[in-house]
Amino acid sequence: MISVSHLTKKYGRFKANDNLSFTVKEGEIAVLAGPNGAGKSTAIKCIAGLLRFDGEIEICGYNNKSMDAKRILGYIPEIPAPFELLTVWEHMEFIARAYKLENWEDKANELIKKMELDNKRNKLGKELSKGMQQKISICCALLISPKAVLFDEPFVGLDPHAIKELKAMLLEMKSQGISVIISTHMLESVDEFWDRVFIMMDGKIEAERERRFVEESGENLEELFFYITEKSVTTRK
Amino acid sequence: MTTIFYIIRKAVKNAILDTFKHPARLILYGLVGLSLIYAVIMGFTMNAVDYELSKDIRALYGGYLALLHFISIPIMLKGLSSGTSFFSMSDVNNIFVAPLSPKKILIYGVGRQLLSMMFLVVCFSSYGGMVMRVFRLSVSNALLLVSGILMMFIFIQMITLVIFCISSGNPKRANLLKYIIYAIPIYTLTVFGILMFKNGLTIENLFSSMSDPILEYSPIIGWVHGFIFGLVNNDFENIIVYGILLLFMIIVCVLVFLYTKLDYYEDVLQQAENNYIFRDSIKTGTMSEAAFLGSRKIKVSNLGIGKGKGASAIFYKHLKEGTRRSRFKFLNISTAVLLGIVLVTGIAMDQLLSYNPFKTTIIYIGVTIICSYVQFFFSASGDWVKELGKPYIFLIPEDPVKKLIMASATSIIKPFIDAGISYILLAIIVGGTIPDIITSILVYGSFGCVYIAANVLAQRIVGMNGNRGIFITFYMSLIFLLMVPGVFLGVMSLAHSHWLAAISATVMGLPIFFWNVSISLIIFLMCRNLLNNVE
Repeated sequence: MISVSHLTKKYGRFKANDNLSFTVKEGEIAVLAGPNGAGKSTAIKCIAGLLRFDGEIEICGYNNKSMDAKRILGYIPEIPAPFELLTVWEHMEFIARAYKLENWEDKANELIKKMELDNKRNKLGKELSKGMQQKISICCALLISPKAVLFDEPFVGLDPHAIKELKAMLLEMKSQGISVIISTHMLESVDEFWDRVFIMMDGKIEAERERRFVEESGENLEELFFYITEKSVTTRK
Repeated sequence: MTTIFYIIRKAVKNAILDTFKHPARLILYGLVGLSLIYAVIMGFTMNAVDYELSKDIRALYGGYLALLHFISIPIMLKGLSSGTSFFSMSDVNNIFVAPLSPKKILIYGVGRQLLSMMFLVVCFSSYGGMVMRVFRLSVSNALLLVSGILMMFIFIQMITLVIFCISSGNPKRANLLKYIIYAIPIYTLTVFGILMFKNGLTIENLFSSMSDPILEYSPIIGWVHGFIFGLVNNDFENIIVYGILLLFMIIVCVLVFLYTKLDYYEDVLQQAENNYIFRDSIKTGTMSEAAFLGSRKIKVSNLGIGKGKGASAIFYKHLKEGTRRSRFKFLNISTAVLLGIVLVTGIAMDQLLSYNPFKTTIIYIGVTIICSYVQFFFSASGDWVKELGKPYIFLIPEDPVKKLIMASATSIIKPFIDAGISYILLAIIVGGTIPDIITSILVYGSFGCVYIAANVLAQRIVGMNGNRGIFITFYMSLIFLLMVPGVFLGVMSLAHSHWLAAISATVMGLPIFFWNVSISLIIFLMCRNLLNNVE
C-alpha cells in the first residue's frame, strides 16, 4: 500500500505539490493524470524518495525514505537513465547485487524476454534507442519483485509490443497485490486497467474517482479531465 | 541572409535581457569584465622601471609560438571531426531545414564561433601588459602580439571552414587532412628537439632553439608568428614573405569555399547531438557518460560485473565501466597528462637547479604543487559525479555513507595510481629519496580526496539542481578553504626542520597528507545523508 499524507513540495515560493493526500491500496492501479506542469512527476519523485518534501509518505507501512521501503519500491523514471557502459544483462546483475537478490537470473531472463531485449542482452546502454533504454528501466524496477511500483509517463517512447507487454505486466502486478501509481497525461493509455484516478492541476488534486463509481454513474472521465484542466486555464486568463 | 541576421539579432538581444533577469549572473559578468579591464589597463600602464628583471626575449618567441599552436591545432582538428562544434541542436532542427544556402549557414556557424572566441582574445590581452613589462616591450608591440592572436583566430576559422568543405562526407580526405594537421606540431617539436639535442641540454640552447627562425616555416602558425614578429622587430623581409604567404592562403581558402559543393548536414547532426548532451550535462551538473563518450565505439568483452553485494556493487560496476572506457582500467588521458606534466616540469627543474644540493626534494615539491592544481580539472568528471545523474544510487537500499564511499572509491584510488606511475618514472630520470617519492604520491592522491570531499560538501550545501555557476564558485572556494590549513601545516613543518632539508618534500608533505585525508573523512561523515535525495 502507498499512503501519501499532506504532501507539499515547494521550489522557493512555488508549490509544485500542494497538500496532496491519497492512498493506493494493495492490488490497485492508481493514475495521476493532469496536463504538463500539473505536478505529477514531482509527486512521483517525492514518493520514490528522490526529493525533499513536507508531509508523510509510507510504502507498505514504512517511511518512504527507509531502507525497508526502498527494498520493496520500484521506480521507472520518465527519462530513462541507463548506465552507458553496462550491457543490458549487466544492468540486471548490478541491480541484483546492489539489492542483494538471490536466484534472480530466471526472473531477469523472463523480464528481458517479455520486453524483447533478449537479442540485445550484450548491447551497451549507450547503444540502445530511447525506447529500449526505457525497457531496461522497467526490467530493473521489476527485478526486485517490488510491492509498490511508480511509473512516470511509462508509455512514452515504447513501441506497440512493449506497450502491450507492459499493460499485461501491470495487470499481473495487480493480481499479485502490488500497488501501482502511474503518472500520465494520456488517459486513453490507462483506460483498460485503472482503478483510481487523481486529476491534478497546479499541484493540487482537483478530482478523485474510482473506476466503480465512474462505471456506475456513466461519467465521462475525459470530459471531466478537460473540464478541470481547461476551467483552470480560463480562470487564470 | 535576413533570416540569419534576424536569429543573431534576437539571440543577442534575448541573451542580454536574460542576463538582467538574473542579478547574480549580471554581477558575476560585471566582476569578470571589470577585472579584465583592470588587468588590461594596469598591464599596459604600469611603469616598466619597477621591474628590474628583463627576461630573455627569446622566451617570448618560443612561448608565443607554443600559444599559437595551443589555440589553433585543437580547433582545426575539431573542424575535421566531421561535425565541428559551431552548430547547436536548435540550428540543426530549425535552420538546416529552412530554405537557406548551406554556405550561408556555414558562415553563420563559423562567425558565431569566432565571436565566442573574442572573449579569449580579451583574456589574452590582459596578459599583454605583463608580457610588456617582463620583456620590456613597447605598448604598440604588445598590442601587435594581441592582434596576432586575434589574427590567428580568424585564420583558423577560415582554415576550419575549408577543412570542413574538403573533408565533409569523405573519410579518406578527412584522414589525410588529419595527418597534415598533425604534421604541423610534429614539425615544430621535431625541429625544436633536433636543435636542442644537437647543441646540448642547456638553458642557453633552450632559448636559442625555441626562437630559431626555422620554426616559422610551419604553415599558417609559423607564418603568423613570423609576420607578427616581423612587425615587432621591423624585419621587412619577414613581413613581406610571411605576409604574401598568408595572403595566398586567404585567396586559396576563399576559392575553395566558393567552388566546393557543400553537403555537410549529416556530418553535423551527430556532433550537434553529442554537443547538446554534453552541454546539457554540464548545465544540469549531471555529468552523464554519454556526454563524454559521444559516438565512440566501445568493444564489449569480458561480460558481467562479477563481484559486489549491496553498496560495493557500485564500486565493482565502476571498475567494469572503467575497463570499457579504457583498456587499462584506471589509466586514461588524465594519467597521460599527469605523466607529461610531471616529466616535463621535473626535467626542466632538474636542468634549472643543477647546482642546488637539495635539487630533487625541491623538484618533488614543485611538481606536486603544479600537478595537484591540474588535478582539479580532472576531478570534475569522476565516477561518483556521473553516478548522481542516475536515480539508482538514491534508490538502492543501503547505508548512505557506504554508498557514498563506494561511489567515490574509484575517484579516490585513481589519483594515487596516476601519481604512483608518474612519480616512479620521474624518480628513474631525476632520482630522489624514497620518502620524498612516497610522500609526493600520497600528497597528490590526498588532494584528490579533498577535491571529492569539497564536491560532496558543495552538493550538500548548494544542492544538485541549483545554479551551476554558484555551485562551481562555492565548490572552488571550499577547496581553497579546505586546503589552506594543510598547506599551512606543511609550510610550518618545513620552516622548523632545517636539519631535514634533504627530504623537505616529506617534511612538508606528510602534514598536508594527514590533514587532507582527515578533513575529507570528516566531510564524508558529515555529508552521509547526501544520497537521501537528489536535491
